[in-house]
Amino acid sequence: MSVSFSFSPSSMRLPVSMPRWWRWAMGGLLATWLWAVPFVSWWVALGSGLCAMLTLTVLTFYARQHSNKDDIGAVLPPSEDESQDVFEQVDALMSHSKDIEHIPQVEEVLESMAQDNQRRRLDDLMRRWVDVAQRYSEAALVLRREIYSVIKQTEQAANTIASSFEAVINKATIQARQAMELLEGTQGATSDDGTPQSLKDFIQVSDERLNKMADEVVRVADLSVNMVRELDGVQTRTQAIDGFLLDVEKLADQTSLLALNADIEAARVGEHGRGFSVVAQEVRRLSQRSHEFSDRIRQHLKEVRSGLSRTYGNMRTLSAADMEHALTIKEDVLSLTQSLEGKNREVAETVSRINEISKEIAQDVRNVVISLQFHDITSQKLSGMLEPMDELRRTLYHLMQETVSLDKNLLKNLPKNERWLSRLQEETLPAPEIEPSKEPARKESTQEPPRLREAIDNGPAVELF
Amino acid sequence: MATILTVDDTASMRQMISFTLNSVGHEVLQAADGREALSILQNKKVDLVITDVNMPNMDGITFVKSLRELIDYKFTPILMLTTESQDAKRQQGKTVGATGWIVKPFNPEQLLNVVKKVLG
Repeated sequence: MSVSFSFSPSSMRLPVSMPRWWRWAMGGLLATWLWAVPFVSWWVALGSGLCAMLTLTVLTFYARQHSNKDDIGAVLPPSEDESQDVFEQVDALMSHSKDIEHIPQVEEVLESMAQDNQRRRLDDLMRRWVDVAQRYSEAALVLRREIYSVIKQTEQAANTIASSFEAVINKATIQARQAMELLEGTQGATSDDGTPQSLKDFIQVSDERLNKMADEVVRVADLSVNMVRELDGVQTRTQAIDGFLLDVEKLADQTSLLALNADIEAARVGEHGRGFSVVAQEVRRLSQRSHEFSDRIRQHLKEVRSGLSRTYGNMRTLSAADMEHALTIKEDVLSLTQSLEGKNREVAETVSRINEISKEIAQDVRNVVISLQFHDITSQKLSGMLEPMDELRRTLYHLMQETVSLDKNLLKNLPKNERWLSRLQEETLPAPEIEPSKEPARKESTQEPPRLREAIDNGPAVELF
Repeated sequence: MATILTVDDTASMRQMISFTLNSVGHEVLQAADGREALSILQNKKVDLVITDVNMPNMDGITFVKSLRELIDYKFTPILMLTTESQDAKRQQGKTVGATGWIVKPFNPEQLLNVVKKVLG
C-alpha cells in the first residue's frame, strides 16, 4: 500500500513515527539556535535559523527514507513546488513542535490501523451479539409465558369437558334405567293390590282380563238364549192354561145350563121335583162360583201372561242383541289382543334397542376416557419445555452481564441500553418476533400421541410385578 | 365394593379414574400429590392406591416408598400410572414395592380388569 503524505497544513496529525536519533538531532539544533538567538544580532540569528531549518529538512528526509523502505516515491526529494510546501509544512511543524511527542513509523502505523480495524469489527460483532441475545432472551420470556398460559387454559377446558361428560353419562344412565323400568319393570313384580308394575305385565294382564270379560259376555248371551227358550215354553203353557180355562168355563156354562134344564124339569114334575130343583139351583150356584173362579184365574193368567210377554219381549231383544254383541265384542277383543301383542313386541324391541345403545355408549365412554387424558400428557410435555427455556434465559442473562462488564461502551449503541438488563426480571415486556424453540427438550420419554389401541413399542401397557 | 385412592397432579386425570371406577361401584378418594395422599391415609383406610409418577411436592416413587413403610399399607396393592414406559422407571417402581404398572393413556376396560385382579 502506498503511503502518500504531504506537508500540507491540513494534515496536522503525524501518522508516521520517527526514530529517536532524529528527535534528538532536532532537539539539539533547536536548542542551540534558541540559546544563541539573544546573544547575536538579528541577521546572524536569521541566517543560522535558516541553516538550521535546512539541516532539519535534510535530516527529516533522511529519516523517512530510512524507516519506509517500501515507498520509494516518498523518499524522492521534493520538487521545486513541493519544497515551497515543505517549508511551509516545516514552519507549521516548528510552531507545533512542543505538541509532537511521538511520530510513529510507517510500519507501526499500518499495524495499528489493522489492529484498530479488527477491534472495530470485534466491537461491532459484540454489539450485534448483545443485541441479538437481548432480543432472544425477551422472546424466550414471552414464549415461556405463552406455554404456561396454554397449560393453564387447556387444564381449565379439560376439567370442564371431563365434568360435563361425567354429568351427561350419569343422566343418560338414569334415562335408560327409567325407560327400562317403565317398559319391563322389575321383572314382573306386582304391587300389594295385584296391579302389575311394568308395561309388559300391564299389557299381559289387560289381555287376560279382556278375554275373561268377553267369555263372560258370551256366557251371559248363551244363558239368555236359554232363558228365552224357557220363556217360550212358559208362554205356550199359559196359552194352554188359557185354553183349559175356556174349557172350564164352557163346562161351567154347560153345567149351569144343565142345572137350568134340571130346574125346568123339576118344575114340570111338580111337588116331587122340588127337592131336585133345590139341588139344581145349588148346582147353578156352584157353576157360577166356578165361573167366578175361572174369571179370577183368567185375570191372574192375563197378568202373568202380560208380565211374561213383557219379559219375553225384553229377553228376545236382549238375547238377540247380546249374541250379536257378544260376537262383535269377542272380535274386538281379539283385535285388541293382537294389537296388544304388537305393543308387547314393540316394547321388547325397544328394550333390546335401549340395551344395544347402552353398549354403544359404553364403548364411546371408553374412547372419551382415553382421549380426555390427553391434557395430562401434553401439559407434562409442555412443562418439560419450561425448564430448558428458563435455563436459556438465565444463561443469556449471565453472558450479557459478563459481556457488558467487559466493555461498557457496548451499552451506548444498544437501542434499549441499560433498561433491558433489569427487564429480564420483570414480567411486562413488549413481544418482539418470537422464535419458537427448535428442540423442545422433554423430560418424559418420547411417546406417540395418545392412541386407542394398546401396542406401545417400549413394552406392554399393563404390567404386574 | 372397594375404597380406592387415586393420586395425580392433574384434575382431569383424577376425574377420569374416579369416573371409571365409580361405574362399577368402587368408592374413590382423590389427592393431588404424595403429601396430600399420606395425610388422607391417616384418617381413612383404603384397599388400593393408584398413583402418578411425576408430581410436585412428593413424586410417585418417594410416595410409594413412604407408603410401604406404614404398617397398615405394607401389603396394600399399589398401581403406578404414568406416561413413561421405560424399563428404568419400572424397575424403580418395582424396587420400592409397587404392585403393578399402567401406561397413560389407560384403557378403562384394562384398568377395571387390573383393579379386579389385584383386589382379588
